[in-house]
Amino acid sequence: MIVNELILPVILVTIVLVVGAYLVAVIDGMIAAALGTPQRGGAWLAPLTQGAWLLTQQANATEAPDWRAWRLAPALYLALAATGLAVVPFSPTLIPTDLVTSVVLWGSVEALATVVIFLHGWSANTLLALIGAYRYVALGLSYILISMFVLIGVALPAESLQFSQVVASQEGLWNVIRQPLGLPLFLIVGLGMTFWGPFNLADSRDLAGGTASTVSGPSRLVWELARAAMLVAFSGVAASAFLGGWLGPWLPGPLWVMLKMLGVLAVLLLLGRLLPRVQPERCVTLMWVVLLPLSFVDLIWAGVEALL
Amino acid sequence: MDYPLIVDIFFLLLATLAVVSGWRVFCTDSMVRASFFLLVSFIAVGVIMILLTAEYLGVAMFFMMAVEMMVMAIFMVMFMMNPAGLNPMMMVHQHKFSIAAGVAIFVVLGGVALLSEFPDNPLPADLDPVASLGNELLGDSMLIFESAGIVLLTTMIGVVVLSSHRGRYGAAEEGSMPPGLEPGGDPAGMPEEGDEGGHHHCH
Repeated sequence: MIVNELILPVILVTIVLVVGAYLVAVIDGMIAAALGTPQRGGAWLAPLTQGAWLLTQQANATEAPDWRAWRLAPALYLALAATGLAVVPFSPTLIPTDLVTSVVLWGSVEALATVVIFLHGWSANTLLALIGAYRYVALGLSYILISMFVLIGVALPAESLQFSQVVASQEGLWNVIRQPLGLPLFLIVGLGMTFWGPFNLADSRDLAGGTASTVSGPSRLVWELARAAMLVAFSGVAASAFLGGWLGPWLPGPLWVMLKMLGVLAVLLLLGRLLPRVQPERCVTLMWVVLLPLSFVDLIWAGVEALL
Repeated sequence: MDYPLIVDIFFLLLATLAVVSGWRVFCTDSMVRASFFLLVSFIAVGVIMILLTAEYLGVAMFFMMAVEMMVMAIFMVMFMMNPAGLNPMMMVHQHKFSIAAGVAIFVVLGGVALLSEFPDNPLPADLDPVASLGNELLGDSMLIFESAGIVLLTTMIGVVVLSSHRGRYGAAEEGSMPPGLEPGGDPAGMPEEGDEGGHHHCH
């Protein structure tokens, strides 16, 4: 019982998170190389070299930081990514945590991520990091709202807040086709909450690295790892909410989930490399005036579809 | 009721965490730290609620408190003259009244915990916590409450949209300029040029 309910889920989540985060770095390097950005070393080795280099670097200190919060924030972000991945069902029986409110738990991971990202920028006690932190809080609320409406749309046909039920409800037709607006909106949420590519406003170049601008050494490594891990957890949630999770012919369920996660990751990383960064003010307008109403349309669509 | 020993151990750990972090709220010298200590306390309570199989209420506690504490921290920093909330400051006031209130509430709640009789109904095996909670809370008035919720939400979004871009004195990205005291006059409340008292600054 302990093996099935405690040890196996922990091992599964850890392996998927670590291998997934490594694959994020590899795929990102490959996409960058294919798009013509010069890369040092091979795509497979470069993330490892970079990680080892960061491990040996000295950790920066700023003037009077909140040390505990500063050191804890990257670890907490990583823990949130693990929590998020823990609700992803890999097959009808292989579910790390089959909470009846797992969709809501993912929502609270997104909300707590806002707190952790703010804490990371705030506790350094430097200007650019603080601006990055405030930027994320200003935008994070709109990400959470969009994600919430899109996920309620997914929960409607399943009549449950449980991801395993959401996957089971896609037996006939995947949500990506049933609710065509859902996945595109949710992908934007994913790029937003990991501040990746076009929505990298918290750790952006114009803030010299934002919340991570004064972080170096091992905690920088943990922060980068946590961002990649959060992207992995997000892709798992997207795969089960919209792409039918373990459903698929021929292959066993867990393999289908992994393949779909890799597909979502590839799309996200490609978007991250192709799209330019959005200006923060325009991003707020885009979120509230365009994407949030679209998520209402998605929800109404889901409701009407569930009634018919 | 049968449950594994680990539930008791986790309850004690989480209860300690909730009480200790709640106590730290009043010891810390920063409003941001105080908000997040309170958040830790609420999260511990939320996990205890999940242990009590109130799965929806526990998880709802996480995200509601996360957003609430975040917004509270930002607003407190905005309204207090304390850049970013990193400057140490005294966080407690009205000592005598608050001590008396704290003791009184502790006695009342402790009395409730010790003297009242709690029901001992085992959970039915086929309990659906989310649906039963919804029926218990709203029952027949579900449609009314849901409509009211949508109206409130629309109002909130409308307020954000109305207030986000156009400020009282012009568009947000152009900088604000107060109107004149008489129609068409100079902006009110602006310092006179060269009235800085030997303090030079360049634009």
